Amino acid sequence: MSKKSRSKLWFLVHSWLALPIWFFVLIVCVTGTLAVVSKEIMWLAYPEMRATAPSEDARRLSFEEIKDHLAQKHPEAIIAALYQPDGDYFALNATISLPGGRTSMAYVNPYSGEIQGFAPSFDFRRFTRALHGWWLIPATNGHSWGWYLVSFLGLPLLGSLVTGLVVYKRFWKGFFNPVLRLRHGARIFWGDLHRLSGIWSIWFIATISITGTWFLVQALLEDNQVSISSYSPATLVMAHNSVPLTADGEPPPMISLDRAVAIAREKIPSLDTSNIIMPSNTYGTLQVGGRSWYPLIPQLVDIHPYTGEIAASRLLSDRTGVELLTESMRPLHTGDFGGFWIKAIWAFFGLVLSLMVLSGLLIWTKRTALATAAALKREAREERKSRPVNTVENIL
Amino acid sequence: MSKDLAARPESALGRFWRKWRFHLNILLILIPLGFMPRYFAETALFRGDRGLGQRVVGDIQVGPWSLKLAELKERGPELDGASGYMKSFNAELCKACARRVKATYLRIGKPRSLRAAGVIFFGSAHRLGAGLPVPKNTPVDAQLWITMEGWDGAVHQAAIPLAEASPRTVEWLQAQAGR
Repeated sequence: MSKKSRSKLWFLVHSWLALPIWFFVLIVCVTGTLAVVSKEIMWLAYPEMRATAPSEDARRLSFEEIKDHLAQKHPEAIIAALYQPDGDYFALNATISLPGGRTSMAYVNPYSGEIQGFAPSFDFRRFTRALHGWWLIPATNGHSWGWYLVSFLGLPLLGSLVTGLVVYKRFWKGFFNPVLRLRHGARIFWGDLHRLSGIWSIWFIATISITGTWFLVQALLEDNQVSISSYSPATLVMAHNSVPLTADGEPPPMISLDRAVAIAREKIPSLDTSNIIMPSNTYGTLQVGGRSWYPLIPQLVDIHPYTGEIAASRLLSDRTGVELLTESMRPLHTGDFGGFWIKAIWAFFGLVLSLMVLSGLLIWTKRTALATAAALKREAREERKSRPVNTVENIL
Repeated sequence: MSKDLAARPESALGRFWRKWRFHLNILLILIPLGFMPRYFAETALFRGDRGLGQRVVGDIQVGPWSLKLAELKERGPELDGASGYMKSFNAELCKACARRVKATYLRIGKPRSLRAAGVIFFGSAHRLGAGLPVPKNTPVDAQLWITMEGWDGAVHQAAIPLAEASPRTVEWLQAQAGR
């Protein structure tokens, strides 16, 4: 095959990777972009999600103080978990259950301990994630087929990146001499924009496509009961006799949440405690979790709620090399590992990627429309030359 | 384009296909639109907006205590990977007994001891949940046993017919037996 026809072939592969499903790819990109900053968008819309300090020198309450305050003000509510979202500007999230069997996420002011409001019944954050993650298709046995539908797109995306770089001759020159011609018609403009945003997004497209493909692999592994995890949830169930009976028939006092945090910090000195999950039943552990120096993977310490002993822990050092890699996939995909500005960068490049799908389509329609018109003209000319005129007229 | 194709007059359907084939994938948006009502209904169900579950079985007295039992979904057991067929029940403990009950269990058939009391309920006294394995060969007249263990060591039990706890599960068992 000649060099020219080979590059033509690559070009065809590049055009066809996303083209037949361009709208689906576009919506997955747009919803993914929204999902990255969904919590921030909700923060803008719902004042009750904000952590407003009553005064300059106000002090953030500890987990135990929050729990005490809630118990005093809302004795009917049972706390299941307390979670401080990444970012001081967010109110604390308290998962609580109420009489009648309702569970709710309460937004708690971290300075006063007051419940400012509850998660709305239309939870934009969960909705965009469900739409982007599995196309809203419910899971039945294992992962939903929507999960496969979306995560499969990782492959054509990776293919687009590779073929795009093959087709774009000496693409690295574009870094030094950026070209964006505004006055040469739409086709030239969209072409320049597609190439320019493409080269600056190489790292992002690679990250999204590789992590997206991992989600596909992960679902395939899990749905076929293949486990690569060294973590056993069985350690989180305490032995029946380790929770003794009480003489008065009332539950024994649980260690304070601040004590639990202190115990976890002894185990992991650099732990930035962001969440506490209450025992899921009498034989469950009190789980303290958070990030430390490696912000992509949380570390967990499971504590006996009545004695304060460490029942189990899941540290960075417990993970195998493969687990460090695979557990980093999700935060890398969502940009949720370094606060607001990382998310902002992810959202920006998500928008750029959405525009690339759109500009790719526009280039294709314009180029193809022109190419088809040219081909028809050429054919008509050749027909006139090779055939008697009346035959053509007969056909028409 | 081959001469053959150019020469043959295109049918209306063919023209439509050529013009719109790359835009037909816009129809993929119909999938999430179609699933949206179910998404919101399930979100509300899991959050307990309308109580414990789709069908409340009723208040069941277990010794001195009682609990309100409900089927999360009003349907037969669902296949859950390697765990086999599972049926989800939710429960709320009575106000007076919430602090006295150490653990609550669910089992098809009478447990021989506390160690074999069945699956344990997870969650808070307001909303407990248990996933009960239902083997395909369970007799349709089986009893559902509830075991409650107190902080003082007391153990109380009660049983209700499975047909009362979940008529749909019994229908499902009958269908399995017919196969």
